[in-house]
Amino acid sequence: MIIRVAVIGNPNVGKTLIFNNLTGGRAHVGNWPGKTVEKKEGKCLHKGVEMQIIDLPGTYSLTANSIDELVARNFIVEEKPDVVIDIVDASNLERNLYLTLQLLELEANVVIALNKYDVAKDLGYEIDVKEVSTLLGAPAILTVATTKEGMEELKDVVMGAAKVKDGKRQFLISYGKRFDELILRLVCVLQKDEELSSKYPITWLAIKILEADEEILKLVDKSPCKHEIINQLLETKT
Amino acid sequence: MSEKIKEILGEDAEVAFAERRYALISEILPRILKGVRPLTRSDLLDKALLNKYLGIPIFLALWWALFRFTFDVSAPFSDLIRMFLSKLGEISRVSISNQQLASFVADGVFGGLGGVLGFLPPIFFLFLGLAVLEDSGYLARAAFVVDRIMYKLGLHGKSFIPMLIGFGCNIPGVMATRTIDKEEDRILTILVNPLMSCSARLPVYVLIGSAVLGGYAAAGIYSMYVLGIVLAVLMALLFRRVIPYFKGKPSPFILELPMYARPTLRGTFSHMWERGVLFLKKAGTIIFLGIIVVWFLSSYPWEAVHHGDNFLLENSYLAMLGKGIEPIFRPLGFNWMGAVALFFGFIAKEIVVGTFATLFGLAAGGTGEVIPALRVSGIFTPLTGLAFMAFTLIYIPCIATIAVIHRETASWGWTIFAVVYGLILAYVVALAIVGVGGLFGHV
Repeated sequence: MIIRVAVIGNPNVGKTLIFNNLTGGRAHVGNWPGKTVEKKEGKCLHKGVEMQIIDLPGTYSLTANSIDELVARNFIVEEKPDVVIDIVDASNLERNLYLTLQLLELEANVVIALNKYDVAKDLGYEIDVKEVSTLLGAPAILTVATTKEGMEELKDVVMGAAKVKDGKRQFLISYGKRFDELILRLVCVLQKDEELSSKYPITWLAIKILEADEEILKLVDKSPCKHEIINQLLETKT
Repeated sequence: MSEKIKEILGEDAEVAFAERRYALISEILPRILKGVRPLTRSDLLDKALLNKYLGIPIFLALWWALFRFTFDVSAPFSDLIRMFLSKLGEISRVSISNQQLASFVADGVFGGLGGVLGFLPPIFFLFLGLAVLEDSGYLARAAFVVDRIMYKLGLHGKSFIPMLIGFGCNIPGVMATRTIDKEEDRILTILVNPLMSCSARLPVYVLIGSAVLGGYAAAGIYSMYVLGIVLAVLMALLFRRVIPYFKGKPSPFILELPMYARPTLRGTFSHMWERGVLFLKKAGTIIFLGIIVVWFLSSYPWEAVHHGDNFLLENSYLAMLGKGIEPIFRPLGFNWMGAVALFFGFIAKEIVVGTFATLFGLAAGGTGEVIPALRVSGIFTPLTGLAFMAFTLIYIPCIATIAVIHRETASWGWTIFAVVYGLILAYVVALAIVGVGGLFGHV
């Protein structure tokens, strides 16, 4: 069995370094189909298990506003990699965790690598890794890509995560009473469309509809549930 | 469908979702981060520079300091260059026997082009100041501070960077809009970019300001930059409201703030040099060509203009052209010289200065320097001078910028629109300056 692992993170978090550490620097470089965005793929052999590592574009979020973000998000949704390594700048958690939350909402099988831990320590931070795992419901480890610290552990954790793929609990963010109710209603409607609900995480789909995400709305436009969705939205208005 | 959802939920649903996510992050953070991060010097600086209320005044104050610096420090250097070139002009006039050739070299080359080159120092010092602000990490913070306002006004936050670049030159400014994802946001930013006062306008401001604004010259120049920013914002706002194509909200963006750094001598000077040299190249090519045309039109028909010992500029082709278009500018208080200067200025705005330099040089027999000559001629009052500066700022972007606008929007429609709205706006603003000033008893 080959484990398919996607690597994602904000720009300048050391993503390329970690990719190189994992793959030994040997990568196949090409383009994402039909896009001018570079795609890198490499292999990693760990304890007799082969992992295919795919480097996703560096992004701050997963909206439909830029090609980079769309490429990353479509890969996770459509190709469904076994594990997604989210590389987080430990010295700048506030900004970096935004992407983490979006990956969790996307129901990706996330492993969080808190990279640049050395920089964070120099700044006076101390990070409670266990608490990160508990609060976000995803395994987290500390890494320093420049010195390869935590790389072996990262591979172990990725292998472990690949096994528990289906038993993951869902990560839900509360958006306030009005939106939470709306999301629930939309989920009920969307479940009826088997084509959509088998392909996409439904709660995420509902959130994206409310955010008026253009790519998702294009999909919903073709769905037989379209009118029911609009009716549900209209109902809450009055 | 997207429109419908926005209509039902209101425009801000996406922002509300993002806010909730950030709120959740702030709840999580204190539980996972042990140990308190001490405030670094960078944090303290950011606290002041990025402050909600202090940020903008600090930005404006630094900008003001930059222009005072540019204006004051460069003045003696400019004087030196002008003196040197006018000496060269005198020498060549005496030593060349052919009258027409002597006039060409003395009035056209050393007078006209020299008039433009005299403004090399302020341009270099402006770029020096900008390089210091950029290399220290402040410029990115200025973008952050201004973004808050811009977003509320309906301009994309990323448009601030092209706007800042536009202060150097509108061409790279327009090209830098490529970083903006949404086509509507991008075109809107392109359309207002020429309102950013590029370095080519600076010579015009310095010339008119020094000649007629007296002690208020620096303030007048500064006000042009502020006017440009204000108009850009107002126009963006207007276009967003009025033109259906731009309806909707700009997409939010994340800006990464670089660490503060002490600018290095080498880095700063190489930045200044790279940009300054562009001006020199331009002076050697398109500006030079424009000035030759101006010299030719103002010296010919030779017999009619050089009547015996008298120099009759009124008989030149240039005067005919100028008097033809003068009526358009009469309400603004510009005479025919101002009119032709603006006419040729659309090739490159430095030519406005070159035109004045050639005209006064010819009239004074090549001995006069352009700033005192303009002051003595009395063709501008402080008020019409200010109106002329504003007109130069706003009207048609130069030819090269128009070409880039066409290339980047891939549309003749938007290109023509950019030119036409610029002309109308320039006229209206200049008229308003003259009109309002008149109300307060100035002429």
